[in-house]
Amino acid sequence: MNAIEIRNLCKTFGDKQALAGLNMTVPVGAIYGFIGENGSGKSTTEKIICGLMHPTSGEVKLYGRDYTNADVRASMGVLIEAPGCFPSLSVWNNLMIQATNLGIKDKVDAVRKVLTLVRMEGAAGNKFKNCSLGMRQRIGIAMALLGNPKLLVLDEPINGLDADGMRIMREILTDIAQSGATVLVSSHLLGELEKIATHYGIIRGGKMLVEMTAEELDQSCPTFVAIQTKEMDKAKTILKQKYAKVLTDEEQTCLRVYDAESPEAVVQYLYENDIIVNELKTDKIGLEEYYINLMANKEGK
Amino acid sequence: MEKVNRLAFDTPSFGKRIKGMLAVDFYRLFHTPLFYIFLAIAAIIPAMIVGTTGMEGSETAALFTNVWQAIAVESPLYIVKNIGQYANMNMVFIFGGIMVSIFIGHDYKSGYVKQLFTTHAKKQDYVISKTITCAFAMACMCGTYLVGTVLAGLLVGLSFAVNFGSLVCALLGKVIMSLGWASLYVFINIIFRKNFWISILASFFFGTGILIIGAAAILGNSAILNIFLYGSSVYACLSSNFLSVLVCLLCSGVWAVIYNVLGTYILNKSDVY
Repeated sequence: MNAIEIRNLCKTFGDKQALAGLNMTVPVGAIYGFIGENGSGKSTTEKIICGLMHPTSGEVKLYGRDYTNADVRASMGVLIEAPGCFPSLSVWNNLMIQATNLGIKDKVDAVRKVLTLVRMEGAAGNKFKNCSLGMRQRIGIAMALLGNPKLLVLDEPINGLDADGMRIMREILTDIAQSGATVLVSSHLLGELEKIATHYGIIRGGKMLVEMTAEELDQSCPTFVAIQTKEMDKAKTILKQKYAKVLTDEEQTCLRVYDAESPEAVVQYLYENDIIVNELKTDKIGLEEYYINLMANKEGK
Repeated sequence: MEKVNRLAFDTPSFGKRIKGMLAVDFYRLFHTPLFYIFLAIAAIIPAMIVGTTGMEGSETAALFTNVWQAIAVESPLYIVKNIGQYANMNMVFIFGGIMVSIFIGHDYKSGYVKQLFTTHAKKQDYVISKTITCAFAMACMCGTYLVGTVLAGLLVGLSFAVNFGSLVCALLGKVIMSLGWASLYVFINIIFRKNFWISILASFFFGTGILIIGAAAILGNSAILNIFLYGSSVYACLSSNFLSVLVCLLCSGVWAVIYNVLGTYILNKSDVY
């Protein structure tokens, strides 16, 4: 059974089409990285899954039931954009309100648990309006975690977090997935997403471009030989005579040779052309590069 | 995290859902300064009206000879001929509309509804809970209005002579009408939920009863106007009896059901956030 199953989902706002026949499958227990540029339809999809918007057409099923089913909705935790908290109330009271709405029996214990989970025990008494962006994101996660949800939908949960906050968030999401829950998480921070996601969905123009598992992504990402030398320009010119794809990395500190038979062969070739290699390693392109390449290919660049 | 081993989904009952939502709404009501500000406003307004009767040459001095005239008109008069006929407990329903708009406006501004509707909450529960909470708030405002009136009357020294039974019926009628008015304002706020200021203006416009006053100018002082909220609110007057209470109950109840059904329908059919 899939946690989320979307078929031919369309949503129009006036004459603007936000979703144009989107298909999406999120298996139970997955951490599904939902990726796409701004305005690609990520938030609209998430809002429809969460019951905040109505689709123009198409089918959305959560655990095999219609997305409007109250029973399934009771097992959802959500963080869309920002947490829905009252600014003048304390963090604790905002969480207690959510716990009451969810009908949780031991509210105090449940709120304490989620506050500990997001490392916010010390800030329970703070008014929500006085919390930093990072704290607010964690409160949003805590709110979503109340009631032990089976499905979590998180829209940009790592935005605005510092390095430590990101690490904590990664740990939290991994813990959640290990407990058997399914997580749908959208983010522009692909490097962070890559560390936790088990599945990916890349959306563009309201359509799903590609869906794959982390293993499939790994197989799709080409390996390359990265070298560092004092004569970068000369080395690049020479390498281009033998290898079809030679690129300088973003930091302009090393050359990447794709489709090389072996690292040793590259070093040997350069040595024969009087270039000494200072550093050498083999690596793979990451999610970010894969995504950029995919987008560039779609644009015909 | 507790291990999620099963994929069985609990069905939260209507009672459980509404209980939780009412608890939250009442908690919020009692923890927001807004509620107490409006309670104070409801007490100050009659105090000011009655208080001015003690001022020499005051227009209201000629209009108010009895303190209970600040609570309700003596007989059901829908056509307003002077400010004295208008300045009574019905004004609570105008200010109550503004309070409801701010209260519900906070739900949208803070994103609380987003949090609410993504979980088990049904739109119907939201409308019912808001109506009950806001009706309670307006009933409380009626209470402080009464206190303000009595205190100001004592200070000014106006007459307290009244048919006690009719007064109780009038007060009861007004309190009952809070439910109908609250449901109207909740409905207005559902329609204009993304436009806070339009909600306030629309609530104020309908709260003044201007449409019914206009209709009364054409139809005359007809009892048919009792089918509307403003009509029944006026009908709860100082000559009220058990029938008046019944009329208020029927009018308030029927409109509450109509507005709740319409509000739920609109929320169900439109994008919430």
